[in-house]
Amino acid sequence: MTVSSTPSKPTSQAEGVRADPPDETARRAAAGIELQGLSKHFAPDAIALDGVDLSIPAGEFFTLLGPSGCGKTTLLRLIAGLEATTSGTVEIGGRAVTEAPAHKRNVNTVFQSYALFDHLNVADNIGFGLRMQRVARAEITRRVAETAAFIKIDNLLGRRVDQLSGGQRQRVALARALVNEPDVLLLDEPLSALDAGLRSDLQLELMRIQRRLGMTFVFVTHDQQEAMVMSDRVAVLDAGRIQQVGSPQALYEHPENLFVARFMGHENLFEIVDRDEAGVVLSFGRLNGRFTAGTHLLIRPETMTVTRDDESVATADNTLRARVAERVYRGHVAEYGLTLADGTVLVATCNNLGEPMFDVGTEVCVSIRTSGVVAFHA
Amino acid sequence: MSGRGLRITLRGFWYLMLLFLYAPLAVVALYSFNSINSSAVFAGVSLRWYHALLADDTIMNAFYNSVVLALSSSVIATVVGTLLGYGMYTHRERRLGWLIWLVYLPIVMPDIVYGISQMSFFTSISAATGGMLDLGLTTMVIAHVSFQVPFVALLVYSRLVGLDSRLFAACQDLYANAWQRAWYFILPTLRPAIVAAFFLAFTLSIDDFVISFFTAGPESTTLPIFIWSAIKKGVTPEVNAIATLMIGAVFAAAAVALAFQYVRAGRRNAAG
Repeated sequence: MTVSSTPSKPTSQAEGVRADPPDETARRAAAGIELQGLSKHFAPDAIALDGVDLSIPAGEFFTLLGPSGCGKTTLLRLIAGLEATTSGTVEIGGRAVTEAPAHKRNVNTVFQSYALFDHLNVADNIGFGLRMQRVARAEITRRVAETAAFIKIDNLLGRRVDQLSGGQRQRVALARALVNEPDVLLLDEPLSALDAGLRSDLQLELMRIQRRLGMTFVFVTHDQQEAMVMSDRVAVLDAGRIQQVGSPQALYEHPENLFVARFMGHENLFEIVDRDEAGVVLSFGRLNGRFTAGTHLLIRPETMTVTRDDESVATADNTLRARVAERVYRGHVAEYGLTLADGTVLVATCNNLGEPMFDVGTEVCVSIRTSGVVAFHA
Repeated sequence: MSGRGLRITLRGFWYLMLLFLYAPLAVVALYSFNSINSSAVFAGVSLRWYHALLADDTIMNAFYNSVVLALSSSVIATVVGTLLGYGMYTHRERRLGWLIWLVYLPIVMPDIVYGISQMSFFTSISAATGGMLDLGLTTMVIAHVSFQVPFVALLVYSRLVGLDSRLFAACQDLYANAWQRAWYFILPTLRPAIVAAFFLAFTLSIDDFVISFFTAGPESTTLPIFIWSAIKKGVTPEVNAIATLMIGAVFAAAAVALAFQYVRAGRRNAAG
């Protein structure tokens, strides 16, 4: 697996948690992560990670995406040092930390379910890491107050943890990690327990915080929408292996295999039956054009054009006759399930331009744009 | 039977059960304040039997032994049991289920069997070493610790398994080394369970008769043993007074233990 080492956006050395007073040592520069041949076997037959090579540049918002059990949380725990590697090396900020225990790595984690300490109030939860590092009490108080203000929870500092809502707990967990000014912040599905509205607010806020701090974020999620919205780059994992690494756009438009294509939500995936000079042959017909090598084909639903059935259209290149079998109205788009002559179902998404929609049962023509077609190996 | 009739009957059973549980205690407490030497006729309120208690050296010595035994065994059992409970928790995913059974077993073992085996164990050690571990307060402390430890370990263990395991990871992630994790996270988190376990161990020890009886020496008579020998001559108001004091002590200890066990849960519910 080749991994590009250039971040897709420049690393900005932003303001920092506090408005840096001049006598303060400048915030530590963000650190990159290098993983080489990283494997984790919980038992000889329980392989959580299998030879992961990954390079995460400093200051990147990087996401580990995959279904449950794919190894993404294990990978995060290996970076945090909460789990020992079976083989392979971990480097953070150019320093080999493979053998270092969690409490000796300058890395902090926002845990799923937040893992706040019940016996401490909000301020003491946030200050816990500094206290363990024997930072002076006055300094702890000052940094806790500044971080709380930055995360907008300064009004909660005196509260007990059991008096907080889910969103507030999430913010406290974030502050508890950020106050230590780690080289890398790890986030283990931190938004999965929140309801949809709060979730998208916090998505945007996490992105804003990451940009301002210029800190390397490694974010774990099973939600491809969340991964696409938030990340500079995404690694898709399955069965302990990296399936593809790339920008959200690359993963969506150019999936490298069937798993990635399916996980990114694509439905129009077809096996290539034959190939010739002019194009490819699929089970339901042929597509003319030049396609990259591969055994399978993805046709993106939003690149198709659906028109009323008409002899002049139906004879055009890469156009098929179909019947509307299903229609899902989503406001800004309409999704059509189209049945082709041989029974194959093709999904097409049409922008809502204010024109009348096609009813179920209508005979239509669907034109496939070759720019929306990608071939790849299974 | 109609639903209403059933409800009334069940409620009747409930009050009957309470009566059988607590009426004897109330009777004992009442007659301890009797002004005459009788457990059948109540002649008037007086504290003479309590004064008699305080003046009786044998009783005061038994009381002293009981308190020393209960305190020292509970302290040792709380420390050992907490460590054991933590060990059970950290090893819960390995194949050590049978070891945990070893911890459970003394809880269900009949006291009489346990007491007799402790006695033979101590006397054979004493015989083999020429007088080390003669029956007395030391052997009683050892015996009491051994039956208190499983209760402490199970209380601590059940508190630990109720925790989110990510809390331990969060501690490590936030730069706490092993000692800091123990001092700043594990002990404060376990405190309600540990305090409850201490008071439970204390009540188990202070009212134990069977195991104490078999492991006691001539000089280490405790209150339960004294009472047992005293009532062979009939129940005296003096015994009633001792019993009343013990009931009071046990009630207080149990109340504190319960309060500590539920104070967190209650607080959480109140906030939720």
